Amino acid sequence: MSTTDDLPNSEPLETRFNSIALQDEEQEQPESSSRLQAQPPEEESLCRSVNGDGILEIRRVDGDGGTRNGCGWRRTNSELEMDGPSSPSSSGYAGERGTSGEDDEIVEISNDVAVMDSQLPWTPGKRHVDEDDASISWRKRKKHFFILSYSGKPIYSRYGDELKLAGFSATLQAIISFVENGGDRVKLVRAGKHQVIFLVKGPIYLVCISCTEEPYESLRGQLELIYGQMILILTKSVNRCFEKNPKFDMTPLLGGTDVVFSSLIHSFSWNPATFLHAYTCLPLAYATRQAAGAILHDVADSGVLFAILMCKHKVVSLVGAQKASLHPDDMLLLSNFITSSDSFRTSESFSPICLPRYNPMAFLYAYVHYFDVDTYLVLLTTSSDAFYHLKDCRIRIEMVLLKSNVLSEVQRSMLDGGMRVEELPGCLLPHSASPRLGQHKQSTDSLERFREPFVGIGGPAGLWHFIYRSIYLDQYVASEFSSPINSPRQQKRLYRAYRKLYASMHDIGNGSHKTQFRRDENYVLLCWVTPDFELYAAFDPLADKALAIKTCNRVCQWIKDVENEIFLLGASPFSW
Amino acid sequence: MATTGNKSINAKLVLLGDVGAGKSSLVLRFVKGQFVEFQESTIGAAFFSQTLAVNDATVKFEIWDTAGQERYHSLAPMYYRGAAAAIIVYDISNQASFERAKKWVQELQAQGNPNMVMALAGNKADLVDARKVTAEEAQVYAQENGLFFMETSAKTAANVNDIFFEIAKRLPRVQPAQNSSGMVLMDRPVERTAAASCCS
Repeated sequence: MSTTDDLPNSEPLETRFNSIALQDEEQEQPESSSRLQAQPPEEESLCRSVNGDGILEIRRVDGDGGTRNGCGWRRTNSELEMDGPSSPSSSGYAGERGTSGEDDEIVEISNDVAVMDSQLPWTPGKRHVDEDDASISWRKRKKHFFILSYSGKPIYSRYGDELKLAGFSATLQAIISFVENGGDRVKLVRAGKHQVIFLVKGPIYLVCISCTEEPYESLRGQLELIYGQMILILTKSVNRCFEKNPKFDMTPLLGGTDVVFSSLIHSFSWNPATFLHAYTCLPLAYATRQAAGAILHDVADSGVLFAILMCKHKVVSLVGAQKASLHPDDMLLLSNFITSSDSFRTSESFSPICLPRYNPMAFLYAYVHYFDVDTYLVLLTTSSDAFYHLKDCRIRIEMVLLKSNVLSEVQRSMLDGGMRVEELPGCLLPHSASPRLGQHKQSTDSLERFREPFVGIGGPAGLWHFIYRSIYLDQYVASEFSSPINSPRQQKRLYRAYRKLYASMHDIGNGSHKTQFRRDENYVLLCWVTPDFELYAAFDPLADKALAIKTCNRVCQWIKDVENEIFLLGASPFSW
Repeated sequence: MATTGNKSINAKLVLLGDVGAGKSSLVLRFVKGQFVEFQESTIGAAFFSQTLAVNDATVKFEIWDTAGQERYHSLAPMYYRGAAAAIIVYDISNQASFERAKKWVQELQAQGNPNMVMALAGNKADLVDARKVTAEEAQVYAQENGLFFMETSAKTAANVNDIFFEIAKRLPRVQPAQNSSGMVLMDRPVERTAAASCCS
């Protein structure tokens, strides 16, 4: 049972919460490995990792002992490491670091808010189709993704024309089969700054070549999602084509789906769902979400497997038929598929789709209808002739949503945005607006006010951003980006830092970490994992540790206070 | 003119054809009067409805705009099953799309509703300089196979409404629970049924 089903602010919740609160130095508990203790400020000049497993080695770069310590990370990895550049010259792949100035290097950035961002807004679809592995520009791309068949035929490439990459594709296949012939399996090859990650899924091979310094686990997770997206479009029964004909050319089967893959790959840099394996909800008043859930429930009782109402990538409400549960990764892939294809916006559609985590072998049928530019309804069924029934369901749903003002509330919530660090209750920021979420909750009297040593930009104690993931609900909530994390590039960089943090906290064979406090020249990152939730928070690099910890506790309290507005509680398929 | 007809006919219409032939563009031109130069690939099938008034009746088309992608081919029967009419679309500047259209005609003749009204649309008629399929060739093929043929352009709107109008006129006036055997039928439907029977 989900503990969050308890009444908000109920006493047991409070006490439970207190029992796992992060401690600052005044309340040191020497024996506790699960509690983070703030170090005295002078010790912080040595950047250290709480992560004592040897996976991450933090070394001090800057020795001046001042407040700005530059720290670099180096992975002392446990994966297969190959010496020297592994890329055969015949394939033309340059084992060089990509174009400089992009987001992944640890570079000195000015704290000036108006950091220029040369990144253009993302445009959907495949770019650089004219490139191939002989192009300098292609070789310099920081992150390549490839899908190929076990006979070496290219299926998809993020950049360049698949046909022209046949030779390169064959090289990748040769590497994989060379290792497989030795009875082994290649997972990762390092070549200078580049990592080459392999994922073998039956007759389908997926490869990522990256110089982004993302951890192996993250990149492999991204390959898994790309594979899942392919299964969503084709089902796993595509394997049979290869059984019949090993040289089967799969590219025509994926015709027109470049935009789906490119949008998924783009979401790796902005959508935390891609590494948290959780979904997020649009903030809505409890009663509004209940109203939407009630009508979805009605149709789910009439032969609809899943009824999902979404706004962009955020869930308004979702209901599954009894015993049917929807995996967050499937939701991510489904919403990516729908939102990336403009075709769904022109009219109501009926399309076969496969949910890889639900049943990778079979198609379901999806009725998709957009109520407005961002809000859409997906009704999933197993029956291929249910269109007219689903259309009727949609008409009923639409009437109820309009009558109960759900759609206008959804639009308002989209405009208002979600949680903002500046609005964290109990802080004294002059520019903090009155919080829109949880207005009815108790204000500052029960929360001890604390003073800040300096008022920076962002929230109290230099809090810039946070992500909270509820384990039981399979949901997360991320704060809105605010100054100084303004540009897409900075946001992408932060998400990559979170991703790294997530990977280090979820490293298999080393699951004992509960907290991590990490300071580098870009941020202070604080991660806190409990059986109930995970909190990831980013602070100003100069943030005080004890205050940061206090602030995290405050964020958790805030989330508890507004949980029935930011999460979909009860009635979700996950509570069966 | 619309109100003079006292009959209302619901007709399921399906569009079939190769990727990029212009099925969605034809439908969007007909239903919404819109045209975009770079229409995105359809996923699965999109559903539209549009009502047309012909002399003696009001025809409500329920239009299935199917995806031309190969992976959806096996699902086509789901959309053409029970259809009263089909428009098979090809691109006059693309010979392969014409060959693909012929395959669709064969499939409909073998699997489809035997009374289906079939239209062959040579789309992108505005691309005269890039033409690969002559109107004569298509006309001959259409006649041999009991289809009626028009060259259309979703871009310029040429013949777009006309092809739907023509289908509406040719739809059998015999609707379930309607005794309309006394209706005067035009000679074309007779010709069509004769042609269809000789081929199937």
